[in-house]
Amino acid sequence: MAKIEALGVDVGSTTVKMVAVNDHGEMVWHMLEEADPRAADQVSRFLAEAARRFGSLNGVPLVATGYGRKLVQQAARQVTEISCHAMGIYAELGHGGTLVDIGGQDSKAIRISDSGKVIDFAMNDKCAAGTGRFLENTAGRLRVPLQEMGQDALSSADEVPISSTCTVFAESEVISLIAQGIPVPAILKGLHRSLVKRVAAMISSVGLTAPLMLSGGVVKNPAIRAMLAEETGSAVTLPDHPQLMGAYGAALYALRIAE
Amino acid sequence: MNIGKELNYQWQVNVLGRSALRLNRILMARKAGKGQLGKSRLLTPPLNTSIWTKELIGQHYLRGRYANSHGKVAWVTSGAPIEFLKALDFYLLYPENHGALCGAARAAEGLSIEAEKAGYSRDICSYARTDIGAMLSGKTPVGRLPKPDLLLACTNICQTVLHWYRVLAHHFQVPLILIDTPFIYTEMTDHAVAFVKAQLEEAIIVAEKVAGKPLDPRRFKEVTRLSMLASELWLELLRRNRHRPAPISVFDQFTQMAPIVEMRGEASTVDLYAAMLKEVDQRIEQGIGVVPEERLRLLWDNLPVWYRLRYLAEFLGAHGAVIVASTYTNAWAELGPQMDPEHPMESMARTYMYPILNRGTGEKLATMRQMIQDYHLDGAILHSDRSCKPYSVGQMDQRDRLMRQDDLPALLLEADHNDPRSYSEEQVANRLTAFMEMLEAA
Amino acid sequence: MQTAAVRIPGRIENILSWKEQGGGIAAVFPIHYPRELLRAFGYLPVEVWGPPVVESVSSAAHVQPYVCSIVRNGLSFLQSGGLELADILLVPHACDSLQGLGSLLLDFIHPRQPTLTLYLPRGRRESDLSFLAQELHALYRRLAEIHGDSPTEPELMSSIRREEAADASLAQLHRQRSRLPLSDLAFYQLIRSREYLPAERFSQLASEALDQAGPITERGIPLLLSGIVPEPMALLNLIPELGGWVAADDLASCGRRLYPAGTSQDPFLRMAERIIHAPPDPTRGSSIESRHQHLLSLAAESGARGVVFHDVKFCEPELFDLPDLRRQLAESGLPSLLLEVDLNDPLSHQLHTRLQAFLEMIV
Repeated sequence: MAKIEALGVDVGSTTVKMVAVNDHGEMVWHMLEEADPRAADQVSRFLAEAARRFGSLNGVPLVATGYGRKLVQQAARQVTEISCHAMGIYAELGHGGTLVDIGGQDSKAIRISDSGKVIDFAMNDKCAAGTGRFLENTAGRLRVPLQEMGQDALSSADEVPISSTCTVFAESEVISLIAQGIPVPAILKGLHRSLVKRVAAMISSVGLTAPLMLSGGVVKNPAIRAMLAEETGSAVTLPDHPQLMGAYGAALYALRIAE
Repeated sequence: MNIGKELNYQWQVNVLGRSALRLNRILMARKAGKGQLGKSRLLTPPLNTSIWTKELIGQHYLRGRYANSHGKVAWVTSGAPIEFLKALDFYLLYPENHGALCGAARAAEGLSIEAEKAGYSRDICSYARTDIGAMLSGKTPVGRLPKPDLLLACTNICQTVLHWYRVLAHHFQVPLILIDTPFIYTEMTDHAVAFVKAQLEEAIIVAEKVAGKPLDPRRFKEVTRLSMLASELWLELLRRNRHRPAPISVFDQFTQMAPIVEMRGEASTVDLYAAMLKEVDQRIEQGIGVVPEERLRLLWDNLPVWYRLRYLAEFLGAHGAVIVASTYTNAWAELGPQMDPEHPMESMARTYMYPILNRGTGEKLATMRQMIQDYHLDGAILHSDRSCKPYSVGQMDQRDRLMRQDDLPALLLEADHNDPRSYSEEQVANRLTAFMEMLEAA
Repeated sequence: MQTAAVRIPGRIENILSWKEQGGGIAAVFPIHYPRELLRAFGYLPVEVWGPPVVESVSSAAHVQPYVCSIVRNGLSFLQSGGLELADILLVPHACDSLQGLGSLLLDFIHPRQPTLTLYLPRGRRESDLSFLAQELHALYRRLAEIHGDSPTEPELMSSIRREEAADASLAQLHRQRSRLPLSDLAFYQLIRSREYLPAERFSQLASEALDQAGPITERGIPLLLSGIVPEPMALLNLIPELGGWVAADDLASCGRRLYPAGTSQDPFLRMAERIIHAPPDPTRGSSIESRHQHLLSLAAESGARGVVFHDVKFCEPELFDLPDLRRQLAESGLPSLLLEVDLNDPLSHQLHTRLQAFLEMIV
């Protein structure tokens, strides 16, 4: 059985992720679940599972990140998802660049130096326009399962522009497009474009340093990947586990404590 | 002056450009002769003189394209006192007009995004975002904008322009002349007039230095006279709408007003509006109105929704509703009677403090009431413009007084003058339909 | 309100005691105005910076939702009776929205109290100075009309000197803050009592606080706070909680109002000089370059490692300068963060994350 040296947990708004690392900082184990409103209990369960597999966790420090990081009382330290994502992706890919993380609640663009430091970052403003929620809400109207949205959008040669970036306005715009008989994939493509443009604006506000790296749950959507590359003119790079970068970074912070 | 550059300017502007624009005018005039000018079945075709407006504006931007190789260029705000600059032979670019042009050409959104990428918030004026986007990206539907040698910002329309021009001054590293026109809450004070006059005197010195020549007083008077004449003709033109049916809709005025804003002080602008007035008079004689059957006459308050002019005109037209008067197009008509070519400095200080946006919210209600009476209006649409706070703050009370005290149906319509992302067509259509039903029932 | 060292009288307590002594109250909206002129007429200026704990519904009938919460809350506060103790209202001209508020009060809302306005010129030229002196004179005449009595020139001069002394103490508090045994919150409660205390009372409090100055103490990552007003005040607890501290500020309500003493012997010109020569402020038309230089020198003096722009949503005067300012500051090695708030909303979780990530970045 592998020995683990440190743990990281990312308590997000839609999912909770935990990662364990060995003394080389390599990811040796992870766990992912839908977020439970009782976050503290959920983290305890994750820890119990880790203890079951690796034995006692005494002396194995835990760092918490994400939306619910303050709820994790077992954590030795709380670090923001900005720093953790940067730390995780740098360890995994071994280079700097501009990282985009599109989450359900928040999106962020982070510029990372050659030595792995955060140089600058930007987050979406108060409205949901640049987040996964934007697609979820509007696509809900179209009755397309979330997992198929991206593929459907890419399958369409046509694209109708969605002018409203406000989630509420966009929804009413979608309703009227449906009423006009516009095919669903063309609407979907327009919706993706709208989101991607918003994210591209965030990228340029911190500055695009190639390569463009992606993380977060929404990255599983192929249309987002393809259209971001198109919109920014830069190839995109993905880590093996895009959803785990925050937790992985947290674990690496914890490893520093262990050392 | 570089002779090669000057020759190129003459060739591009006066030989090639002018001929192309003239040819275009002839072709369009032919179409007009065959009754093919308008695309709408609901609305009377545009004025024949609108072809001429188009040519003038085309020429203006064509000259702008090559202006840097020809002389000095100033960027100015739409309500700025420009007569001394014109008399010093500056080419004048109006970023707000350029913004409106981008809005009408559906290019504003893309340019705004360019500005937003550079960190400009979506909560700042959409004209400013459009132009800053054009400045940063070099993109514009008119081909190319000349760089300024001088900036002139006058606060008589808003404080926004000052912040905007500070950005321009920082970017272009050129002098910025500020003409600060104290807001008139209740009365125009003598010390405010003296302040504006003192600033104009200082401004002339700066402008002379940049122009490299002194201001010729005769030329200054002449330009002021031409400004006044054009503004007076524009006022007459608007007044023709007191006639029933109204001969020229406010939506047409929005496009026909470009020369009074950006080509004030030029002889060709005076000629254009004289001809337009003639054509409007002919329409009145022939009983031609904006729509075949005019049933409702309305007021428009605030800036246009540039990217949906035709849609709104047709939507209302389908109900026999015509926008007959607007506080916005009237703003340039109010200037004329204030001007005095014999005393250009004194009158300029007063004239340029007088725009409706530099006076209190109660004054605007008074202006609206006067228009409602003079133009026999049945209702008012107040465009609540997210991008223009000085024009919009006050509308809720103005609307309330019109409804309660004057018994006049009035609608507050949420939109933005240049940013289609702050506009919801479904919502607008819904509100307008309900408003039409209300008016028809009245 | 209890700070570590100095007892600051509360707003209401202070207003009531002033009224008991026969004085009047002037409720004043942001930003710049001559305290000395109001005081010379016996009016104590009490400022209204969009009180956050107010239902903001009543203003919704008068101003659109895209107007900032300082204006919306100020109006709601007035309409819900929050300014009943005021005898006059003063709305200085700071921006298009406050211009609108002044005009609305005069033309449509008609509060019980007389509404006065003051136009502040946007340049620093001779013509601006002389206009402002005359504008202050016009305000003087208007106050005389309302009050029935008017102060003499020597009375005006002595009122000016009293405010100049208070402003000098205020400036000293700003400079000495790292030596004072005050938390960020306590420090800002102290300096912001200048918004409602009589100048002489404030000077006294300031000197009590300055007496307790000790050696410089380390208290976290030094930050420079820029923007309009440090509200919600919870921000001043959050910053130290996350390991930062406010080492200097460029806030319209605080550091941008460190008015220098005037030099002229003409009271109106002297009051005008004080406002015109105050630190750079976009609402008074300052250039981006002058603001950049000012921020750099504040950072250099205070050792601030980053700038937090803390702005109220929809504030155009602040928003226009930010891209150029932030780029230039970054080029000078000073990173910055932008936070936008609505005074009615609690500090969002995201704001917390941004601030924490910023501190992690500059540590």
